[in-house]
Amino acid sequence: MKKIMQKILTAAFISAIALLWGCGPSKPVLNVYMWSDYIDPELVKDFERENGCKVIIDIFDSNEFMYSKLKAGGTGYDVILPTTYMAKVMFEQNMIEKLDLSKIPNSKYISKDYLKDLAVDKEMKYSIPYMLGYTCIAYNKEKLGEIPASWAVFGDEKYKGRMTMLNDMRETIGAALFFNGFKMNSTDDKELSKAKETLLEWKKNLAKFDNEVYKVGIQSGEFVIVQGYSGDLFQVLDETPSLSFMCPKEGLSISCDDWVIPAGAPNRELAYKFIDYVTNPKNAAKNMEFTCYSAPIPEAKKYISEENQNHPGMIMPVELYKKGEIIEDLGDDNSKYIKIWDEIKGN
Amino acid sequence: MKEKRHIGSGALSAPKLSECLLTAPSFIWLVAFFLIPSVLVFAIAFKSADSAGGISDTWTFDTLLNVVRADYLGVIWRTIWVSCLVTIICLLLAVPVAYWIAQQKKEYRYWLLLATIIPLWTNFLIRIFAWRVLLHPEGFLRRSLIFLGIIPEDVFLLNNIGSVIIVTVYTCLPFAILPIYAAAEKFNFALIEAARDLGASRFKAFRSIFLPGIKRGIFTAVLLVLIPAMGSYAIPDLVGGVDGELLGNKIATRVSSSRNLPEAAALAAMLALIITLPFIAMLFKQKRLVKYIVNIRRSAGDSTK
Repeated sequence: MKKIMQKILTAAFISAIALLWGCGPSKPVLNVYMWSDYIDPELVKDFERENGCKVIIDIFDSNEFMYSKLKAGGTGYDVILPTTYMAKVMFEQNMIEKLDLSKIPNSKYISKDYLKDLAVDKEMKYSIPYMLGYTCIAYNKEKLGEIPASWAVFGDEKYKGRMTMLNDMRETIGAALFFNGFKMNSTDDKELSKAKETLLEWKKNLAKFDNEVYKVGIQSGEFVIVQGYSGDLFQVLDETPSLSFMCPKEGLSISCDDWVIPAGAPNRELAYKFIDYVTNPKNAAKNMEFTCYSAPIPEAKKYISEENQNHPGMIMPVELYKKGEIIEDLGDDNSKYIKIWDEIKGN
Repeated sequence: MKEKRHIGSGALSAPKLSECLLTAPSFIWLVAFFLIPSVLVFAIAFKSADSAGGISDTWTFDTLLNVVRADYLGVIWRTIWVSCLVTIICLLLAVPVAYWIAQQKKEYRYWLLLATIIPLWTNFLIRIFAWRVLLHPEGFLRRSLIFLGIIPEDVFLLNNIGSVIIVTVYTCLPFAILPIYAAAEKFNFALIEAARDLGASRFKAFRSIFLPGIKRGIFTAVLLVLIPAMGSYAIPDLVGGVDGELLGNKIATRVSSSRNLPEAAALAAMLALIITLPFIAMLFKQKRLVKYIVNIRRSAGDSTK
């Protein structure tokens, strides 16, 4: 018995030392909570070297999951990267701090057009935008030829059973709202019921509402028209020359992920440094090439390689800022969307 | 050994202690990762959600009452009939297969069993994607069916409730075959011969001798197929169409975009009840049924039982 106890104690002692060693004697640690594969690992290494610190990146795959984890008492993060609507919710609930822009000098590079036309947090009171993506339509050009840039395509019976729309209530109801000439953040009952009618018409022509298989589906020829997120679609489009894409003229949804600092962040100074670092145009360009998304930093275009200068994902056309809308959190009115979405799915 | 057991009637005796120690790991595991989470799910069902996605501090019945409203009936009904149909198809396929395997020579049986199990070595999701390739609208299967005039040009094999049923049957089938085989292996096939000698037709012998003989296996197979089918989420999501949503998908929507954990918990609790209640009822009924059969046999002078 004594021997066993001794062994256990030794093991505990060794592992404790190993743990302490792993933490390093005095190296500060920056805890980042963000989406996966969303930052160039080289940049993270450079940041660690420059600041003599260690960066630990923790991953979430949905805003809602991240939110519930924080609500359930998850702490210790210094920087978080929620999507715009969730950043607003978190700010309203005092879960994140007001930013001191003097500590983020590179924030001056953030596009004024973006802040004026699109941003929810126009003065960057609590968030700094990181990457923009948008929702557009990819289609099989080889089979269909050019098609007009409009959401109306989902009403076309010619493509019955070969089209998909996103399994995402805000995106899909939003598309129907745009089609009817409304705003995608509408909470007006009449507008919403009009959108619902449109979607029920479109639904007859759709193969499915889908977020998972549409990428493979459009590539393999199973689907000929899909609504999808730009990041996903451009991966496929880059590989498959027979495909093309269009941005519907009625308007489209743009999404942005924003850096925020949670209330009570243990290492606030380093968090500011990190946000400033990724907002530097040179670094933003590296991240754009790594992720295929577009940072709202016009200056970054200078540093993008020649071959990607016209990449529609990285160099997002500025006119889209005017055509697009950012999904906002609607508070209690969210339930209207949930109800309509249930009815569309259940019919 | 025998003595020890008698001595230790007051405190825990050595064999009992070792028994406890042996059960402890699995018991602790089940309590920590099954019982406590399940209780939490049931508890959260008595809370309500705020619009930001948080859970209220107060207790309420509203969430549960909200779940039994008419909107959900469609999804619940679809979940029930799809999973029942899947179970029936699985049984119809598994019983003959198990019957056949059990009658093979011993050295072949293991190979046949291995063939049943091997597909399980491949990842579940990859097998679903394989079905997407198989049922692809430009694929060999659909093209040949159209060529042979079996299906018209505008029928698709994918993204409808039919493909959900086919793929669910495919993934559940091994779990139906294995327990039925296990029961059939122990079955004494001489009984069927005896029945045939006594003038029973082949089908009659199969129905009234073989099937009752493997009743336990069938019951286990029903459990192993029906429960996963009821909670199925990935299959309707990947091969289902616009109307293919099942309760599992509804729960996922509630957790994510609806930001309503309590309602998701209430739906999950209801799903658990839908699954559990019939089986508890069945267990009771089965006990009664067994008694009933035994009584009939006794009164008919049957000496086998």
